[in-house]
This record gives sequence, structure tokens and C-alpha cells, in this order.
Amino acid sequence: MSQTTYGWLVLAFPLAGTLTIAFARHHLPGRSAGWIGTGAIFLAFLAALGALLEMQSHAPEHRQMVSSLWNYASTVGVDAQMSILVDPLSVFMILVVSGVSTLIHLYSITYMNEDEGFKRYFAYLNFFVFSMLVLVLAGNFLLLIVGWAFVGAASYLLISFWYRRTTATRAGIKAFVINVIGDVGLVLGTYFIFKHTGTLDFLRAFHATTAGAFGHGSDDGDLVAGCMLLLVGAFAKSAQIPLHTWLPDAMEGPTPVSALIHAATMVTAGVYLIARMHPLFELAPAAEDVGAIGGAATLLIAGSIALVQTDIKRVIAYSTMSQIGYMIMGVSVGAYAAGLFHLMTHAFFKALLFMGAGSIIGAMAGEQSLEKMGGFRKVMPFTYGCFIVGGLALSGLPPFSGFFSKDEILLVTGERGGWHWALYVAGYIGAFLTAIYTFRMIFRAFHGEPVPEAVELKTGTLHHAHEPTNPATGEVEDTDVGFPGPFHTIAERAQPMRVAMSILALGAFGAGLVQIPKVDFVIDDFLAPSFVGSRLYQTHERSGLLIFGIVLGTVLGLAGIAVAYRVWVQRPGTATVVRERLRPLYELLVNKWYFDELNDALVVRPAAAVGRFAMGTFERVFVDETLIGGTTGLVRAGSAAVRAVQSGFVRYYAALLVLGLAGVGFYFLLQT
Amino acid sequence: MTSLATLATAHLKGPHVDFAGLSPLIALLGGATIVLLVGLIRARWVRAHVVPALSLVVLGATAGLTIWQWNAQKSVVSGALRIDDLSLVLNLILVTGGALSVLLAWRSLAAREAAHGEFHALLLASIAGMSLLAAAQNTVALFVGLELLSIPLYVLCASELRREQSLESGLKYLIVGAVGSATLLYGLAMIYGATGATDFDVIAHALSGGSLASDPLTLTGIALCVVGLCFKASVAPFHQWTPDVYEGAPTPVTAFMAVATKVAAFGVFLRFFDVALIGAQSSWGPAIAVLATITILVGNVGALGQSSLKRMLAYSSVAQAGYMLAGVAVATQLGVRATVFYLAVYVFMNMASFAVIVARERETGLGDSIQAVAGLGRERPLLAWPMTISMLALAGIPATAGFTGKFYLIDAAVSGGYTWLGVAIVIGSMISLGYYLPVIAAIWMRKAPSEQPGVGQLPSPTGAPLGGGEGLPVLAGGSPELDEPSNGVQPEVVLVAAVAGVATLFFGIVPQPLFNLVHHAGSALGGLFF
Repeated sequence: MSQTTYGWLVLAFPLAGTLTIAFARHHLPGRSAGWIGTGAIFLAFLAALGALLEMQSHAPEHRQMVSSLWNYASTVGVDAQMSILVDPLSVFMILVVSGVSTLIHLYSITYMNEDEGFKRYFAYLNFFVFSMLVLVLAGNFLLLIVGWAFVGAASYLLISFWYRRTTATRAGIKAFVINVIGDVGLVLGTYFIFKHTGTLDFLRAFHATTAGAFGHGSDDGDLVAGCMLLLVGAFAKSAQIPLHTWLPDAMEGPTPVSALIHAATMVTAGVYLIARMHPLFELAPAAEDVGAIGGAATLLIAGSIALVQTDIKRVIAYSTMSQIGYMIMGVSVGAYAAGLFHLMTHAFFKALLFMGAGSIIGAMAGEQSLEKMGGFRKVMPFTYGCFIVGGLALSGLPPFSGFFSKDEILLVTGERGGWHWALYVAGYIGAFLTAIYTFRMIFRAFHGEPVPEAVELKTGTLHHAHEPTNPATGEVEDTDVGFPGPFHTIAERAQPMRVAMSILALGAFGAGLVQIPKVDFVIDDFLAPSFVGSRLYQTHERSGLLIFGIVLGTVLGLAGIAVAYRVWVQRPGTATVVRERLRPLYELLVNKWYFDELNDALVVRPAAAVGRFAMGTFERVFVDETLIGGTTGLVRAGSAAVRAVQSGFVRYYAALLVLGLAGVGFYFLLQT
Repeated sequence: MTSLATLATAHLKGPHVDFAGLSPLIALLGGATIVLLVGLIRARWVRAHVVPALSLVVLGATAGLTIWQWNAQKSVVSGALRIDDLSLVLNLILVTGGALSVLLAWRSLAAREAAHGEFHALLLASIAGMSLLAAAQNTVALFVGLELLSIPLYVLCASELRREQSLESGLKYLIVGAVGSATLLYGLAMIYGATGATDFDVIAHALSGGSLASDPLTLTGIALCVVGLCFKASVAPFHQWTPDVYEGAPTPVTAFMAVATKVAAFGVFLRFFDVALIGAQSSWGPAIAVLATITILVGNVGALGQSSLKRMLAYSSVAQAGYMLAGVAVATQLGVRATVFYLAVYVFMNMASFAVIVARERETGLGDSIQAVAGLGRERPLLAWPMTISMLALAGIPATAGFTGKFYLIDAAVSGGYTWLGVAIVIGSMISLGYYLPVIAAIWMRKAPSEQPGVGQLPSPTGAPLGGGEGLPVLAGGSPELDEPSNGVQPEVVLVAAVAGVATLFFGIVPQPLFNLVHHAGSALGGLFF
């Protein structure tokens, strides 16, 4: 089979999975939906491996293959095809997406075991994976937009999975609205590109662009506008400032969903988009700079907010934003391979951290606040171990995977010179913050005095809330469909969760070894055929900054952990003292830099004011009375008139026919 | 004397007849005769089942012969008919519509009342008329085709002999139709008077000369032809027969009329106006565009608030005629393509909903009231989905073929210089949601009528197999198709609904095959700009 056949198979399995579960849900016994879902994604992963092996047998310059299933509409100037592009970049993405997804499906089988919406959950989850694979395999803008929008819809469905929780549905709506803003950006950006290149196909559009469809200089106005609009799409999906506010709220979804969608896969779509569109972005340096600065700002701001969050999942969510900031910055400055490398390692360690968090939340019977956790180290050794591995990888300490990938991004950024030094410095400050907030989380959850739940677990019983509540608001809930199920699980007691976490822990530990500076360049070489002709893509060239960066990264990581240890383990009171002393800063951070308020003041409230005016004055007077009243009145009168004329008497029909004839005849005679 | 001598000495030779080109037509008319004869056999099962099966065979053969003639470019019968991709594509569309109608009529009261043989023979003859019309290349063939299509239809409308409304619809159609035909004939005569020709090509040549295109006689003739054809295509303000006839006629006949007549009428519109009268396009183009706008408004506004589904679909078909007229008005190849594309899609969209109406008439005894489809989503998903898809497609919602078709028409209107007509199509589609969506709401969100008694007098579904007009309550004016006692077993109707629904969806997602098909149809008319 050719690599494109494998590509189609990668799409076919998850689609078949979601359809099977959705349509046969009444006939599927027990937990079989979970195994069907997991199996479908695993088959997709195998197909992705097949595509990889098949592709490696071609010469590097023949590794970009397009396959079209059918022409959707190729007529007057449009060439919309159902085509996929299978090249190193997309194969890389499908491997990461399907691989991590398989593990998260496996984890979910036990994690969601008690939930009344078990089958619905797996149907959604498979649909999400299908959408994400469509997004990364798309060979043209049309299919990209379809995948992009599907992913947003799947994310909405899964965030509001517990649909009787008001907080969850509200978070789902917020995520969907912001994602749609991104969709609009993507569609409009596509329009700019289509207008000039006249094609929707990626490779042809890139070819036309490099051949001068936008003029021969760089920074053509329309190209920059198009790329900026694509960036709007990328920023919304990847939760970059200022379109990031949906991601922390998205933690209302089940924890495996947070692991899969809001950490490992969907939110990296923006990174993929910029990497895929690199021929366009390289000719629009202004847009590249906006992307890089946006990424750098996000990594700093999100990292600082993560320092003060108390909800364990929100800490990881802000950390995700921050890490994606690194990737966005990387691919925007031309560190494509490094950005994608970090995408892969991040998928491992962040999914691992979320799974660990899910395990702790299970032990806490749904409670997510770090304030109420503590002392789980002894009773949950496996989860603790996973957290340590994930945390070290996230903090970027050698030889864990995050160390190599983050360092690569910063190295390439530094080598660009000029004002990119500012980004370089921001990246290392971010690394320092990362180490602090990561280990703050670990120390608070696992060290210190054991909380009652940990003590209970020590006696062998898993804490079980008598009255389930919403962890965010404390509202009392039941355990029927639409709310979480009655029982929770921890990794120590569930084989599938342990298997999934172990494999991810291996990845989080060792995935960095595939690309070690001066030793091996697997990622660089593998992705090179997708970036042929790129002026910024460089392989194997690592300069004198290398050693400096490695040392600095290690030192900052260790320093961050030391700070965290001192503040939260050695002298637990320090945090309160610091908080009191730096009250304004704390307020700023705990209010998330007031971004929600800023959005509220800049967008929501003016819009609401306009809306109130429109509703109170404009709507009532002009729209209701004049337009609607007028139009509906007109339509109603017209309808009445049509019916009145429709008397049923043939003589009137004949009369009207003759009248009409007179009218038409009169008109024609006027033409003489 | 000399002429006599020439006659005597002349080498007598029969005219050359291109039987291959005529073969689809021959198959239809010959088939109609055979079906009529087979219908004389007394055995009930022969009449009830062999006759319709035979009709399907005839239609299949016609389709086969049409495909055999593919890519032909020839004039037959001394230039009276033109066999080209346009007429062949329309033939295929007609045969599809006809076959689906035969399936709908298989167990209908109408076919039984009218003795199956006659019913199906008339149906086939009418299709032959339509096929002739779609290929007509001179005014005589045009008129013959028009009458051949109309007269069987008059009879078919009245084929439920014992139901008053069926008879009324047949009579109304006959009388108003006669006025329409007379108008058209008068117009054709005037054009003949002005140009001295009946052949489209010769007329076109005469009009291209200059002064003749603005001659009062020609223009009056064109005006009368516009009115006559608009009547057939139910274009406002010549549409008034449509709701009454559609509602009164037996539902399978209505389905056939709704789709096939439109195809034939627009086929001849395209050929007559875009070939013969192309020289006078500056005169008739704006007139047709204005008529299209009026039609879109009248059809959509009239459909609002109708409780009878057939009546609603009648107005909807008026509105759709308005949309398609846009493709005629622009007189470009794109316009031809868009119109033909829409015609093909239109067959499927309407057949899906009419099949569901037929099925529900037989099942519920509620006639074609909107009540009859209430609660269908829970009860009969196999009927609910085609109806839903069809309504969405008629309204022009993306991912259905209706959207692609409308998009194509708007594209044609805008690039043909009639942007305002495109706007009118969009506004019309907006209004149309006001009557398509309530049907979907009834299907999915309301309870089945059986659960809410007291809606009206419900005749028992199994009772009164041949009750006639007297005993049955008139419900929303529909035809109470309470024929077969074997209730609910009507696989062929469900099949029609499913096939048409799936096709509507399929061509919305994969429109390329249809694009390819209509591409040739557009190129068939020479002398048109892109």
C-alpha cells in the first residue's frame, strides 16, 4: 500500500469507531464501547506507522504525496478536492495524535467507568480524534477548515460533557465562541490566499506564492493580512494571548479530555498550522514577528499565572498555554523542527501530568483544589512517580525529554540574533517560572501533612463523597447522566490507567533522546522534506550558544525547584508572607492578569451596551415596528393577497392570465 | 404539366430517417402502446403489477438508448429535433423522474381507478411529449411536444374518477391549459409571420439581421411565447392553476407533474430562447428576470402558512421555477448549466418529499395535511430523514444538493449581470425557511397524531377501501389514498423516498458527477457566451 492509502486508513478507523459507537450504542454490552473506541484509534496508530514505514522507503524528495478521493467541486475557478497531503510533517502529527490518543482512550476506559454517559463519551472522543486527523492530514484549505471546525465542535461537546453542570456548559460555550472567532480568521485568511494563488491546494498555493503570486518582495500587504488572519485562527485554537481565556475554563471537562484535547493535541493545531504554512509566513516576516511576540508573551504571562492558581488542573492548563507559547514562538522564528519536537515531548509529559492529576482527583473524590491536598506521596507512589517524571520533563531538566526540545527552540531563537534576544531571555525566564510552579504543585499535592483523604486511602478505602458536589462552586449534584459518576478511580488500582501512564512516562523520560545536539538529528532529518525550500530551516548547525544554553537551562530548572522546595516544603509559611508583601502582584496574577476583565471591558461590555441600546431603542422602534412589523406585515399581506387571488374559479385565473399577458405584451411593445 | 412530368420522372426515394437518434422517443411511444395492450389482460395481478413493471422496463430501455446516443450532435426529422447533450441529459432526468413516479403510483388508487394500463400508457406518452419538447428544434415540434405532454396530464389529473377534487383539478388544468396553449400557439404564429420560418436556426439567423429583432410583430410573438411557456413552467402571474391542480390531483401524478413538467418546460425555455430568440435577448432577458423575481416572491409568500403539504409544495415549486428562470434570463452557458443542474437536483428533492406524502396518505388517513408527518422522526425514521433532507435541500442548506444548485444559479445570475436577481434568490430562500422548517419541526418535535385524538375526524385506516368521495371527510383537500388494506407495507414508496433523499445528500457532498453531466449540456448550445 502506498503511504496515502495508509493516510486514508488513518482517517477511516476513527470515523468507523465513532459511527459504530453512535449507532450501535443500544446494542453494545457493558464497557465494549470503550474497547471499540480504543481499538479504532490504535488501528489508526498502526496505519500511521504503516505510512511512516512506507514513506521512509522513498527518496527524501519524493516524500510529499497528495491523494484525492474525489473532486468536491472543480468548476469555474474552484478546485476543491477531498485530498490529503501525506508528508513527513503530517505523518509526524498523525503519529503523535493517534499514539497519545490511544493511551488516553485506554486510560478513559477505567477513569470513566462509572459515568452514565460512557458510550457517548467514547463516541465524542473518537469523533474528536477523527477531526484532529482530518485537520493534520488535509491537503487543501477546504479540508483544513472542515477539520478545524470539527475539532472546535468536538471540543465543545467534550468540555460540556457533564451537561447538567452549569459551569461546564458555560465553559463549553466560551470555548466554542472563541474557537469560532479563530475559524473566521482562518476562513478569511484562506480567502486572501485563494484570491491571489487561485487554488485551494496547499502545495500549489505554496508554489504559486514562492513563484510570486503576491509580488516578488516580502511583506506584501495582502499576504501579511492573510497570514495575520491565519494567526488569529492559530491563536484561538492554541489558546495564545489574547484569545486564551477559554482554555483554563475548558478544564471543566473530564480529566482525560483535558489531557487529550487541551494539552496534547487540539491546542497544538496552531503550531502545526504555522509550520504547514511556512512558505507563506516566510514571505510575510511581519506576521512571523507577531506570532513570535505573541508566543513569548503567552509563555511569560501564563507561566506567572500558574504560580498562584490553586486548582490543580488549572495549574497544568496555564502550563500548557505557556508551553505552547514556546512552540508558537519556535515555529514563528523558523525553529520548525524544534517547535514540533517540543510539540511531541510536550504531548507525552503533559498528558502524563493530566493523567496523574486525574488520579489524585480520583483519590480526592472529585475535589481539585491544591489547598485541600497534601501528603499523597506515600499512599500513591505510582502517581507520585509519574508526576515527578512529568514535572522534571516540564521543568526542562536533563536528561528528560522537555530539556532537549525546549532548549532547541531557545537555541535557534538566540541564533537569529537582533531583537530575537528579547525572546531568548523571555524563554529562559519562562523556564525558571515553569520549574517553580510545577514543583509547587507537586510539593503541595504530595508532600506535607497527609489530608484526611490520604489517611483514608492508607487504610485501604478510597475516599467517597457522600454528596457529590461541583468542585468549582460547591453546588450539590447527583450522579445520573450529565454529572460525573458515583465512584472514582486512582491509577494505583486500575491496570489500564497504569499501562497508559507508564508508556507516557517512558516517552516523557526518553523521547528527547532522538534529537540530542551534536549527537543525533532524527527529527531534523525526518521533517526536512516538508521544509524543502525554507530559508530558515537549518539542520545540524548548532553554534556556540549551545553549551551556554544547556548550562543555563539546567541551572534555572534546578533553581526553580529549589525555590519551590524552600517555599512550600521547608518553610510552608513563606508563601503567605510573600503574598502579603507583594499583594498587588499577587492580585494581578490570581486574577489572571485581568484578561477576562479586559475582554469583558473591551469586548463584552461595549457589545452588551450596544446590544442594550439596540434592543431598547433601535430594535423596538426601528426593527420591531418598522422592519419586522413592516416586513412581516408585508409578507402577511402578500400571502393574503396571493390567497385572495387564488379563489378557485377558473374564470379569474384566465382573467389574470390575460392581464399578465397584457403586461408582458406591453413591456415588449415598449422595446420597439 | 411540367410539374407532373418531373414528379413522374423523379427518382422516388424515402426520406432518410435516423432511427438511432429517435430511438429513445420510439421506445417511449412504442412502450406506451405495449403497456396499453398488456393492460387489457384481465388477470388482476397482470394489471396491477406487470403493467407498472413493464413501464419501468420501458423507461429503463429509454435511459439505455439515451446513454447509447451520448455525445451525439445531430438534427433529425429534417431538423425538427436536435439530439445533443442538452436533450440527452434532460431525457435522463425525465426518465428518472418518470421511473420514480411509476414506483409511487404502483399501488395507488389513481392507477387502479383509471385501469392500470391506461394510467401508465398516459404517463409514458406524457414523458414522450416532454422528451420531444426538450429536443424540439422547430416551432411545430415544440407545439406538438407541448400538447403531447399536456393532454395525457389532463387525463391523469382526473384519474381518480370518483373523487370530486381530482376531477376538478383535471378540468381546471384542461381549461386554463387550453388558454396557455392558445397563447403560445398565437405567439409561435406571429414569430413565423415575422421571420417566415419555423426552424430555430433560421429564426435565429433572421433575428440576428438587426431591425427584425425590434419589430412589433416579433416582439408581440415573443411576449406571447413567454407567457405560454411561463404558464407551463408555472411562473407567476401565470401560476394560479398550480396550487389547485397539484392539490387536487392524485399525489403520484402531482409528483410527476411537479418534477417532469418543470424539466420539459425549462428544457424548451433554454432551447427556444437561447437558440431561436438569442438575437432578441436584450428584449426578453429583463422581462424574464422581472418575471423570475415576481415568481420567487409570489411562490414563497404563497407557501407560507399552508396546512396542506401538496399545496405548500405547489407554491414551493412556483418559487423554484423562479430560481431556475434566473438561469434562463442570463442567456449564458453558465446559466444553462446552472438551470440543468438545478433541474436534476430538483427531481430528487421533490420526489423525496412527495414519496413521504404518498406513504403517509396511505398510512394515516390524514391526507396531505402537515399533521400527517408529525412525530415521524420517532415513528418512521426511514421516512423522516428523506423528508428532512428534502426540506433542507429545497431551502438551500449547505451539504445538500439544493445548496450547490442554488449557489450555481446565483453565480450564473451575478456573472450574467443580474446581481439583483441573485439577491432576490437569497431573499426568497430566506422567506422559504418560514414554511420548510415547520415541516421539519413537525417531524421531529411534535407528537404523532394518533397520540392526540380529536385533531379531526380520523377515518379508520383500514376501512373504506373504495369508499369514493362521498364517505370520506375532506382533510386539507388531500387525496385520501386509502387503497391497499395491507397498511404500511409499501416498500417501493419508502425506496423512492430513500433513494431520492440519499441522492439529494450525495450530490450535495459529491457534486462533481453532476457538474460533469451538465457541463456538456451547457456546451451543446452554440452561440452562447460563457
